[in-house]
Amino acid sequence: MSAEGKAASAPKKWLLTLDTWAVLAAFLAALLIRVGAFKHVPW
Amino acid sequence: MADTIALPQVRPAGPAIEFLRIIPGVLLLAAVGYAGKLLEKNVGAYAKAHHWTFPNIEYVLWAILIGLVISNTVGVPQIFRSGVATYDFWLKAGIVLLGARFLLGDVLKLGGVSLALVAIEIVGAIAFMTFLGRAFKLKPKLSSLLAVGSAVCGVSAIIAAKGAIDADDEDSGFAIAAILALGALALFTFPLIGHGLHLSDHAYGTWSGLAVDNTAEALAAGALYSDAAAKQAALTKTARNAMIGFVVLAYAIYYAGRGQAKEVGNKALFLWQKFPKFVLGFLLISILATYHFFNKDQTAALANLSRWAFLLTFAGVGLRTNFREMRKQGLRPFAVGAIGEVVIAVFTLGLVIGAGKLFGF
Repeated sequence: MSAEGKAASAPKKWLLTLDTWAVLAAFLAALLIRVGAFKHVPW
Repeated sequence: MADTIALPQVRPAGPAIEFLRIIPGVLLLAAVGYAGKLLEKNVGAYAKAHHWTFPNIEYVLWAILIGLVISNTVGVPQIFRSGVATYDFWLKAGIVLLGARFLLGDVLKLGGVSLALVAIEIVGAIAFMTFLGRAFKLKPKLSSLLAVGSAVCGVSAIIAAKGAIDADDEDSGFAIAAILALGALALFTFPLIGHGLHLSDHAYGTWSGLAVDNTAEALAAGALYSDAAAKQAALTKTARNAMIGFVVLAYAIYYAGRGQAKEVGNKALFLWQKFPKFVLGFLLISILATYHFFNKDQTAALANLSRWAFLLTFAGVGLRTNFREMRKQGLRPFAVGAIGEVVIAVFTLGLVIGAGKLFGF
């Protein structure tokens, strides 16, 4: 394998998966709305 | 050979650099999505003012079309690619927030029916795709990847299965390209068929969730029909996604038994690692909404926030679909995927119509 390939396939030291980050981000947004930090989200 | 060339050591970027890298692409997603929203509002109004007969095109389709045009003409420049790839993050965050619009009773009732249909769809799709792969003499692991992708949840399932059954990069590339190309076609054909058959929002949403393989495309196909159909498509697709661990585990055990993949050690841990966590997030938000943790205004704010997240997702669906790249992957896997998808679409349509008569969709 090339050096580039090795670097690309080296495991990243992320503690959480993207899936879990998405859940945490959604919960944080829900919490901020719940405590009134954002009262209205327009559409 | 590349192995013999001394290349400078590439140091992995830190989280701050990674974060900065995604900003241009996220801004592009937002710009494309917002342009879609503006076009929906203004094109319709312009056509009406000039007495033109012009169909009302939803922001979803505009966003996808703008993305497709960019991706297939000038292409997406390198600087935007990391950020465009975050469309999956926005999709999952949007589905979790969408949980606020479902009461737990609805989830259990509709999810229960959806789960029964999902189980039938998974068994039927795996059996048919495996048969088709053999008939077209595809490599067994490529057939398995296509079967997993079309039975469960598109790209995520293929990536999960690839690692578990030690499949080649080339095979997973074929399978992902076939599933994405067919998902793109479904975006344009499913709403037409749904309107042609006068399907209810509920029946159409269930069908999209069952038959369209990638979650982003399933949701977009639902949203192109109606908001209620998008909700139902998300619920059905989420029920389908929840099965990913079980199907991938079964394939891993099958290939390990034949000495073609690593043994699965702790099966419970394997299931947990493969289980999509956003399904749990969706259920938890739904439970909170059911027990009035959020008031009416807060629920509306959460629903709108999920719409914004989906807006970025739909822009990403168009931007990452490149037909030229897909064509390079070859015709046979695409043919197997296409035949399989058409049969699965007809089969699931029959299931949905049958279930609709039984459960009154």
